[in-house]
Order: sequence, then C-alpha cells, then structure tokens
Amino acid sequence: MSTPNTNYEMRETLLKLENISHSYNGRPILKEVNAEVKNVHIPGREQGQIIGLLGPSGVGKTTLFRILAGLMEPTSGKVLLGADAHPVKRGTVGVVAQDYPLFAHRTVLSNLLVAADNNPTVAMNMLERFGMGEHAKKYPIQLSGGQRQRVAIAQQLLCSEFLVLMDEPFSGLDPVAVRNVIKLLGEAAAVDEHKTFVLVTHDIEAAVETCDTLWLLGRDRSADGQPIPGARVQKIFDLMACGLAWREGITGDPEYQRVLAEIQAIFPRL
Amino acid sequence: MGIFTPNKVISPATFRLILLGEAALFLIIWLASPFKVLPRPMEVFTALGELWRGGIGQELIVSLGLFMQALALSTVISTSLAYLTVIPVFRPLALVVSRGRFLSLVGFSVVFTLMLGGDRPVKLAMLTLGMSVFLLTSLLSIIAEIPRSQYDYARTLRLSEWRVVWEVVIRGTIDKVFDAVRQNAAIAWTLLPMVEALYRSEGGLGVALDIQRKYFHMDKVFAIQLIVLCVGLFQDYAVGLIRQIVCPWADLNKERSDA
Repeated sequence: MSTPNTNYEMRETLLKLENISHSYNGRPILKEVNAEVKNVHIPGREQGQIIGLLGPSGVGKTTLFRILAGLMEPTSGKVLLGADAHPVKRGTVGVVAQDYPLFAHRTVLSNLLVAADNNPTVAMNMLERFGMGEHAKKYPIQLSGGQRQRVAIAQQLLCSEFLVLMDEPFSGLDPVAVRNVIKLLGEAAAVDEHKTFVLVTHDIEAAVETCDTLWLLGRDRSADGQPIPGARVQKIFDLMACGLAWREGITGDPEYQRVLAEIQAIFPRL
Repeated sequence: MGIFTPNKVISPATFRLILLGEAALFLIIWLASPFKVLPRPMEVFTALGELWRGGIGQELIVSLGLFMQALALSTVISTSLAYLTVIPVFRPLALVVSRGRFLSLVGFSVVFTLMLGGDRPVKLAMLTLGMSVFLLTSLLSIIAEIPRSQYDYARTLRLSEWRVVWEVVIRGTIDKVFDAVRQNAAIAWTLLPMVEALYRSEGGLGVALDIQRKYFHMDKVFAIQLIVLCVGLFQDYAVGLIRQIVCPWADLNKERSDA
C-alpha cells in the first residue's frame, strides 16, 4: 500500500455548477445543484482529477450528466468551465456513454481522426498512448469491450477542452474488468494536469477507490421520511484530504473502510 | 443431428449440402406431384429453349431496362425524401408519400396515361411510384430507429448538425439502406409483370407471361418464372456484393451469413 500524498495545492476553478435546477413536465428533477472543481497541482507530476457523481437510480444523474455535457439546457442555473468561467457548450466536454459509442462505419484510427481535426499524427499518438496502435485499422465491432472503452476515452480526450464525463463506467462489469477500468482511468487522468473526469455511477466501492472527490446526489426528505422531488448535492467527500487519492491498493486502508462505511450508510437515504 | 438444433451455427459446406438435399427433395415432390396442371421439370426446360429461340431474350432486355431505370429513380427519390426528413419542414411530405403504399397502382394508370402519354413513361412512373412508397417506408423506419445516444455522441465530437446528418443518418445507416434497396428490388419483380401487362406496346417479360397464361401454356409460364427467379437471384447477389464493398464493417460479427 502506497503512502498518502499531501503535497498538493488547489488552484483556479476548472468547473463550476451554479444553482442548477431542472424540471420535466413541471416535476422538479434537480434543485439548486452547486459544486466546484479546482485545478489540483502536484509538484513535479501531471495529475488530472477524477470526480465521482454518486447517487441511486432515478435520482437525476443522467439529467445532470446531459446538462454537464451541454446536451441539455437546465431550467435555471449555469455550468461554467475554466478559469474564465465560460458556459458549457456541446462539444467542449467529452462524453463517454455507457455503451462506449464509436462510429461503426469508421475504423479505430478514422474514429480518432474525427476528434483530432483529421491530424493523423495526433490521433496515432493517442492510440499508442492507450496501447491501441496495433488495432488502428480494425472496425469497432472487431474490438473487445475493454479495447472499445480505451478507444472511446482516447477519442473524447482528443476533442474535449479538459473535462470528460463518463456514464456508469463500472456498470455490468465483472471484478477483473472493474479493476481494468480503474487502472485505465488512472492512466487517462495522468495525461494532463487539467484533465478532469466526472464519473456518474452508483458503484460506491469502485468510486471511492478511483476518485479524488465524491459528490453525493440525492433528495431531501420530508418529516415523515418521504423523498422530496428535486435532487441536489447532499454531501461532498474530499478523498484527497482523506489521503486516499492517487494511491494504489487503498482497500486495506482503515480510512478507505471508514469513508466507504459512511457513504454506504448515507446512500439508502439519498 | 446438429442441423435440427436451434441457433446451431453450421459451416458453409454443411449449408450447401442441406441446400442440395432440399432441392433434390423439392424435385422429387415436383416429379411425383399428382396435379396434372403442373408441368414437369423437363417440360419447363424444353419450353425455356423454345422461348429463347422465340426471342424471350429481347423481352428480358426490355424488362431489365425498365427495372433498372425504375430502381435507380425510386432509390434516388426515396433516399432523398428520407434524408430530407432531418429537416422538419419535409417530414409531413415524406410521411404522406410513404402512406401511398396503401393505394393501388392500377388507380393511377389513367392519370399517368393522360399526364405522360406513351407506354414507356407510364410504366416507368407506375413502377417507380410502386417501389418508392415501399422503399421510403423502410428508410423512414431505419432513420427513426437511430437512438438519441448516436446523435448525442456525434454532437460531443464538435460536429456541425450537417456533419451529424452525414455521419449518423447517412453513413451510419448505409448498410441498412442497402438491405432495404435489396428487398425493394425483389418486390419490384412482383410489380413489373403487372405493369407490363397493362401497357403492352413495348413487350417485356410481363407481356410474355400474360400471353402464355391466357393460352394456358403452363410450361412456358413456369419457364418465364424461372428466368425472373434467376435474374432476381443474380440481382440479389450483385447488390449484396456492392454492399460488402461499400460497408465492409457490416457483416464482420454476424453469427449467420446465409440470408
């Protein structure tokens, strides 16, 4: 088990969710969601961040996901990107959906060229970086699930400013595959200091192990314990401050067990 | 006895063996059939020879020419209308045209005759209309079934909406469009004899079939059907081959390739 890294500093804001509310047919889905991601600088190391957006099924994670991606306008509120706080637009944020979509009619390299403004050197370098160089001429249907995932992430890294959203990256995977995804995300986040992944998931254990920060999305409860429509970020876990970020083999750490137990206790009430 | 097991994958050699076996069985049933009205295989082949010497080749050329023209026109019209539905203002038009599949072609014969004059243009118009409404229905369904996630995905790659149309709606469905054209081309051979029988001055297989039917020359009727079947099979193979060249990704992971 590696030792906690406390030598880091918070810098400019990379992503800000400002009072985001959204209703569908008059029914509130999200209610004043507020959260912020700052650039974390670790001296002598390129290290991006991984944020986990945790919440039970049907709480509004997908809606927030689409709003963060710029694919949907919230009823009110803003998603602001970068130090200059520009509003999110579709295409500025990378999106890796659950089924890892790629253009079936294009080869792996050709898929990356779409995102790399047709620059073959940039596309090929990214493929090599993700260990997919030898598969450049294959079609997506010829790839395994893990290979497809690598290509999808590589493609989104090429075309996004710095933020990449991933929808349920651990869903339906066996334990070995989950481990591979955790490793892959660690590698992908290390591409650049500003690269920031937001994982939308309901897999608590994988999220605590993978992420640097966790946002718990949930609904408030009435006095008689009934959920009140409209979810918001109920609690934020700073796993960097807990000493759990950027380390391998943390599952045996008592702090990991404590955080996991705390989230597991909160989760059913979200 | 794997050939009776559901979803059993068989080798191409086994498939060919089954095909030959079933063809032989069909031939035996045909030969042993108690129905006197059915001509025997040798009678059909003899009739085929007679028809060939009598100039059925020329009728085939006339029909093929009409078919190719109608196929090209209906494909252009249907694909254009279907792809235009990405623009909301064209959606009602495409939907109305596709509902034309419920109308009878015969009902248009007089209108087309008065509007276009001459057998050839009328035949072409009727066949094109008949093919277009069915092909358009298939194409609209293909486009409607594209999931929202595909559009979202393309948009996250910073593609313009026209590029989204190109990648998702046009290139993304091209293999399915080929399948639809292939099926529609087969349907066309069922419409063609009817249209040719209505407008006879140019001749064609439809006219030949109608004449032989009237004189109850069943051997010649079967021989003409055999010609149409052979042409259809070749046409199916040709469209499939073009599809394989244009869409090499389409059949890569298929369990079965015998369709």
